Amino acid sequence: MKRAHVDRTRFEQAVLPQLDAAYNLARWLTHSGNDAEDVVQDACERALRYFDAFHGGDAKAWFLTIVRHACYDWIKRNRPAEIAPGDGTEAIENATDPAGVTPEQAALRGAAGNALNEAIAALPPGYREVLILRELEDLSYKEIARVADIPIGTVMSRLARARSMLQRSPVLHAIREGNTGRG
Amino acid sequence: MDCHESTALLQAYGDGELDPVRSAEIERHLIGCAECAARRDELSALRARIRSEVPYHRAPAAVRARALAALDATVSAPAPSQRPRDRWSWLTAGALAGSVATVLAWFIGTAVLDWEADHDLVTEAVTNHTRATLGNRLIDVASSDQHTVKPWLSARLDYSPPVRDFSADGLPLIGGRLDYLDGHPVATLIYKYREHTIDVFVRPVVAGKAVPAPKLVTVRGFNVAHGAAAGMECWAVSDVNPEVLASLVAHLNRAAAE
Repeated sequence: MKRAHVDRTRFEQAVLPQLDAAYNLARWLTHSGNDAEDVVQDACERALRYFDAFHGGDAKAWFLTIVRHACYDWIKRNRPAEIAPGDGTEAIENATDPAGVTPEQAALRGAAGNALNEAIAALPPGYREVLILRELEDLSYKEIARVADIPIGTVMSRLARARSMLQRSPVLHAIREGNTGRG
Repeated sequence: MDCHESTALLQAYGDGELDPVRSAEIERHLIGCAECAARRDELSALRARIRSEVPYHRAPAAVRARALAALDATVSAPAPSQRPRDRWSWLTAGALAGSVATVLAWFIGTAVLDWEADHDLVTEAVTNHTRATLGNRLIDVASSDQHTVKPWLSARLDYSPPVRDFSADGLPLIGGRLDYLDGHPVATLIYKYREHTIDVFVRPVVAGKAVPAPKLVTVRGFNVAHGAAAGMECWAVSDVNPEVLASLVAHLNRAAAE
């Protein structure tokens, strides 16, 4: 490893407070706790290598950008099929009906209380990440745009699509039926 | 505003990304349009479900330990002539990450008196915090009401700590507990900041002892902010960023001085 001139204090203050956010994002992108640990480790090593390039500012967005790259590199190496070509829209219809879930299965899963998790896990990664960054990390559109390296307009359209996919998802009918107040 | 425009902006509105003028416009439209209002309700129902049902995966301890190990493996120790106070980092640079309590950062305003004792105290505060958050005994008295928490603590201590809820500033008080610091029972206030838990240990300033100088320290990745006012001193410990901790300590100092 390159022996970098890393200011230990600065690094600890910039990166260590972001480990929960890093792990959460990695966990949602890789679907696995062990893999997420490896990815965050990889991201820390990258952050150490490139710490010279961090000139202060938004440490969370800076580190999550690195984590996201580490995630995608990991997925490319280990599960290349998951990354859909283009913008991922081809995967949407599959995602709304993951592996042909029947209403009965959906009801069972819903009863188990993790229907929503499954529906989110089934979203294409480009949609899943903006949703996680928005709803679980509370990042602004601008921060998400930076982390995911897309324009703000794309953040907005992906969030909208992600939400509409969730609302249409067969495992989540309760959301629509329970809350649609119109006939 | 018409339905077409309202639909396009509804998500940004719900995400708090619209400026006040546009927000007011969309709100006016929503009052008069049942269809758009229903769409807004669906969106907020979805958001509420995500936030309450979908797990936030917090990093296991191993993640922090591995990050610190990577840091240890990479960092070239600074020249001692430049950083004379970093001798502890020197001593522990080779030690296993996460297993040794180390003072890693000092923001030093004035001369550090008695700093090794403070170092032990800060480390102890961090250990208390991690033990409380890892175990079940985070809160003895769960309440956001200072008039519940304060008497509870006062009844069990020989002093009455300043207790104040700062919900309006995004730092809600969630309760209090009795912990042990420096060989004495200590009042501990628990605050939330988003998903993070902040422990604040409050005690009277020890008579005859200079108020410690370090304002902000990082120990094992946790930030510790110290403050003192009106004869009380406090240590706020959390994994939130230093600015948040500093602002909480400033709030508490003001509350103590009142």
